Amino acid sequence: MSDAVPSALAPHEAVTPSDEPIRGASLGRYLATKALGAAISLLMVVVLGFFAFRILPGDPVLSMTRGRMVTPEEIARLRREFGLDQPLVVQFGRYLADLTRGDLGTSFFYNAPVSRLIAERAGSTLLLTGTAAVISIVLGLWLGQRAAWKRNSGFDKATTGLALVFWSVPTFWLGLLLLMAFGGPLPTGGMITPGLNATGFAYVVDVARHLVLPVAAMVAVTYAQYLMTMRSSMLEEMTADYLTTARAKGLNEDGVRTKHAVPNALLPTVTIIFMTLGHLIGGAITVETVFSWPGLGYLTYQALSAPDLPLLQGTFVVFSSIVVIMNFLADLVYRVLDPRLKAA
Amino acid sequence: MAESAVAQRRRERATESWREFASNRGGLIGLILLVIVVALALLAPVLVPLSTLDVTQVTAMPNEPPSGQHLLGTDPFGRDVLGTLLWGSRISLLVGFTATLMSMTIGTTVGMLAGHFGGWVQQVLLRVIDFFIVIPSLVLAITLSTVLERGVWTIIIAIGVTSWAGTARIVRSQTLTIESRPYVERATALGAGDGHLLWWHVLPSVMPLVLANTTLAVGSAIISESTLSFLGLGDPTVFSWGSMLKSALDTGSATAGFWWFVLPPGVAIVLVVLCFTLVGRALEAVVNPALRGR
Amino acid sequence: MELEWRDVSIAYRIRDNDGPRSLQAVDHVTLKIPSGGTVGIAGESGCGKSTLAMSVLRLLPKTSTITGDILLDGQDVSSMSFGQLRAVRWTEASIVFQGAMNSLNPVRKIRWQIAEALELHSKGSWKDEKGRNARVDELLTLVDLPVSKAESYPHELSGGQKQRVMIAMAMACDPDVIVADEPTTALDVIVQAQVLDVLTALVRERNLTLVMISHDLSVLASTCERLVVMSEGRIIEEGPSAQVMGNPQHEHTKELAAAFPTIGDPSSRLRVGRAGVTSKPSEPDADGRAARLEVRDVTVDFSTRGSKVRAVDHVSLSCAPGEIVALVGQSGSGKTTLARTILGLQQPTSGEVFVDGKPLPRRRKALRDYRRRVQFVPQDPAASLNPKLTVYEAIAEGLRIHRVPDDERERVAEALRQAELEPPERFFGSIPQELSGGQRQRVVIAGALALRPEYLIADEPVASLDASVRGEVLALLLTLKNTLGLGALVITHDLGLAWNIADRVLVMHQGRIVESGPVEQVLLDPQHDYTKTLLRVVPAGVTRDVNRGASRADG
Repeated sequence: MSDAVPSALAPHEAVTPSDEPIRGASLGRYLATKALGAAISLLMVVVLGFFAFRILPGDPVLSMTRGRMVTPEEIARLRREFGLDQPLVVQFGRYLADLTRGDLGTSFFYNAPVSRLIAERAGSTLLLTGTAAVISIVLGLWLGQRAAWKRNSGFDKATTGLALVFWSVPTFWLGLLLLMAFGGPLPTGGMITPGLNATGFAYVVDVARHLVLPVAAMVAVTYAQYLMTMRSSMLEEMTADYLTTARAKGLNEDGVRTKHAVPNALLPTVTIIFMTLGHLIGGAITVETVFSWPGLGYLTYQALSAPDLPLLQGTFVVFSSIVVIMNFLADLVYRVLDPRLKAA
Repeated sequence: MAESAVAQRRRERATESWREFASNRGGLIGLILLVIVVALALLAPVLVPLSTLDVTQVTAMPNEPPSGQHLLGTDPFGRDVLGTLLWGSRISLLVGFTATLMSMTIGTTVGMLAGHFGGWVQQVLLRVIDFFIVIPSLVLAITLSTVLERGVWTIIIAIGVTSWAGTARIVRSQTLTIESRPYVERATALGAGDGHLLWWHVLPSVMPLVLANTTLAVGSAIISESTLSFLGLGDPTVFSWGSMLKSALDTGSATAGFWWFVLPPGVAIVLVVLCFTLVGRALEAVVNPALRGR
Repeated sequence: MELEWRDVSIAYRIRDNDGPRSLQAVDHVTLKIPSGGTVGIAGESGCGKSTLAMSVLRLLPKTSTITGDILLDGQDVSSMSFGQLRAVRWTEASIVFQGAMNSLNPVRKIRWQIAEALELHSKGSWKDEKGRNARVDELLTLVDLPVSKAESYPHELSGGQKQRVMIAMAMACDPDVIVADEPTTALDVIVQAQVLDVLTALVRERNLTLVMISHDLSVLASTCERLVVMSEGRIIEEGPSAQVMGNPQHEHTKELAAAFPTIGDPSSRLRVGRAGVTSKPSEPDADGRAARLEVRDVTVDFSTRGSKVRAVDHVSLSCAPGEIVALVGQSGSGKTTLARTILGLQQPTSGEVFVDGKPLPRRRKALRDYRRRVQFVPQDPAASLNPKLTVYEAIAEGLRIHRVPDDERERVAEALRQAELEPPERFFGSIPQELSGGQRQRVVIAGALALRPEYLIADEPVASLDASVRGEVLALLLTLKNTLGLGALVITHDLGLAWNIADRVLVMHQGRIVESGPVEQVLLDPQHDYTKTLLRVVPAGVTRDVNRGASRADG
């Protein structure tokens, strides 16, 4: 027994099945499960989008014509127009068939195909929510991990305190305040200055100027949630044993934080971020309304004030589908981020 | 004798929990403010008779700035802003509490069932929870309140039905945690059935968490109520903070700089929501010692 | 390199119900380890041994204060600047953490984690990545791991492999001092032996100074020249390993040593605890007696992700009243699944369980009656009691589930008395958190006894208890067998436990019973290879030569 290790190692290890590592599911299986889940959710969106507007106690035509003088003939005509005189099954079949062709019905208010209206406005919503999301994620995560690392410090108390206040602010009200405060120097409505007809760089600047206030309103309310999530998952990681290992190796505190704690704390946070994408869209509706931003949110607002049920149904289905698909993508991203989910 | 010892211990534990809660300054201040707000809301009919807010009977000019007579000025219809604010708190709190109660009941039940049972029950419930978590709840709430008859109850249902999934998720994972504990295995080996396990072991462990979560959820529900009212989906016959802000937007008060009509409802929402959040976080720390100081 | 603690005290600032106060973790400890010396520090949880070990690299929480000198090669660690300290960390002294725990970063590859240490203290050939990679490969080979494991994530490795990675990492920068903190806890005995072999071989080969922390005296005795026993922050006994193990002076050391009985030592056979409770071995032929718990040809399969795993493979066994049967096996051997099957918590794939010749019913109501007769004592008493229920409620739970008509208070008191918690009324209103580990396990046992069962199925009843409590609980099992005629099936990984209290022993391996018979026969004259392996790798303290490899002395 002089040098190195005993020879009888390998065979022994084989006799203890418990000493096996954990193996993740295979990629194919993982994909299949997640895809199936997303498909079921999409189907539920489609079904809900249909039934919410038909069999709930309210009569869609009555709620559409609420507050207006309509003759019984007009009501009958509307019913026919929407196919509401048909049996429910037939209606549902027609709805599904239309959906597969990308037909979401005809807007009552605009008298135009709902799908076209949505397609026209999707870009500007993406610009607004995308910009707001990126800024609030970066801001939230960065502040969150710093605050956790210096837990109970002045910095921590100030950042979390501010975050809690912002978290309690209704997005639309913050929008109104910004409107009041900066309404002079910055544009308060729309995406471009009417009549400016700017092109190229000037156009970009014009749009960017219009973006400032709505993005600020959305960021202020959204970053807080990311900050709190990042902070608490970071606090969770801060007691982990592998940080002691890193310190023992001689790493300084910055290294321990950025190379070890943050990558681990990011994982649960990323899940929460994707899971709350729906909230971002909720914020988009009110912010676009306040700033008359020509996007899907403003379209929804117009649809519900009309009320224009085919349009509302269309925005519901599209919004929900976008979120479901984003979540599916998130699951894929997550698998790349967390090696524990990867196939062994 | 044993019973009194148990009762005494319960009392001691309650005192200890209270002390733990009170040690959180934010939570304590939040609680005190909330008590005041609730008291004011209850006293609104006495403090500001509804008749003084009747558009046909008001004597003040529209959009009057704050003065000795109207501490917060008047709104575009000449009504006293402070009075409408007080009446608005009733709706905000009512919707906040009732919608939360509804969403907590659904969430706790679904969560416990999804955690306790396996097989297809779990599969189905999990899918439903997942769906409601992912889906933009405001969009669904908008849809529901557009289709249903206008009214306070519609708002309550729209919020309650769309906001339970987060609770269900938390409750489910807590249920799984509890049920993986050896004491549940021990109870099963003693011969306990589903009902016994859920009632004696799972529910008591889930309740504190649900309670803390409830407090946080009331805040979100109040924001949702104001958002729906702001979008014009509220009950047009009652005052609410959201509908006040809607008329501020509609009548151009914001752009006209009538700050006394734009600021108070928003500040009221922020204050009440913040209080609920602070109380909820303090409760969470009492319930889950691992969170203390977070 | 010499390591010395000179009158070291370490205190933590903590907050509890009495407000902020100071907790003395280490209390005026003086200890000197010469260069190349190997010292084991033993003690129960909370005795300050880990704090002492971590103080070598000043890896203590910010709430701690150190007084006294910690000298590493003559330099005082406690007064170094942070920069100096970082330079010392890992190059002069390194730590082998408990790898089974979360000591490796779960999202980084092994190569990255080992190379990080090299990069931090880069010198010579480690300055570039190529040199570091070569060094990582060399280190993995050193601990007998294939080089390909460098590309693995921690979760892809087994517990034993992770522990070797921890050792490889500790060796990375050629330190002179190694501190091993519970390096083999939570590992199976066989894997434990392998890991200890790797560690001791490296230490001897490179003449390293080793400080090893463990609650297990026998592990320390088999790897270290000297033993130090700590209790409540103080060193209570110190000396050469053989002397401390063979002739412990302090009462506490004796208890610790007794927790790891020497198999074959007649003084620990069917005799445990301070009072020395003994048991007459039950008659080998128990066939004539009435009730009998019997498992006939039981097989349990699990299907996970499409593949079938056979956890229990055609197992038959029996247990008579007044008989204690030990079912010995390593984790993963299927012993817990078997226990769950006997309790009706798990459906067997084939085969049956009989009591009194009647098969275990599958219908819920009938199963309930069965459960009154066969009761369960789970592994971890701290977790087996609902923290929200009082002791009274916990014990009465079974009575309530079964709607036992008798006077509840009476039955609860009786059960507590049988579990030796007296006077019972004193414990009625207690909540589990107020009780000690041993008391909690007694409450769990009382909860089982309240239903007046005929058999107890105990799953690792003492594995999570401190050594000093172990004896008490085992003594209680013997007492219950003597006074109530209870039969017990005790599931354990610990051969010493079987030697202490069992009449018969069954050795389980990969779902099968590979050997069974009276304890003396199986443990002193093992027939099956697996039993022999198990017995060979049990660190048997003094009976084994410190320079491993020599054959162990039997009986």
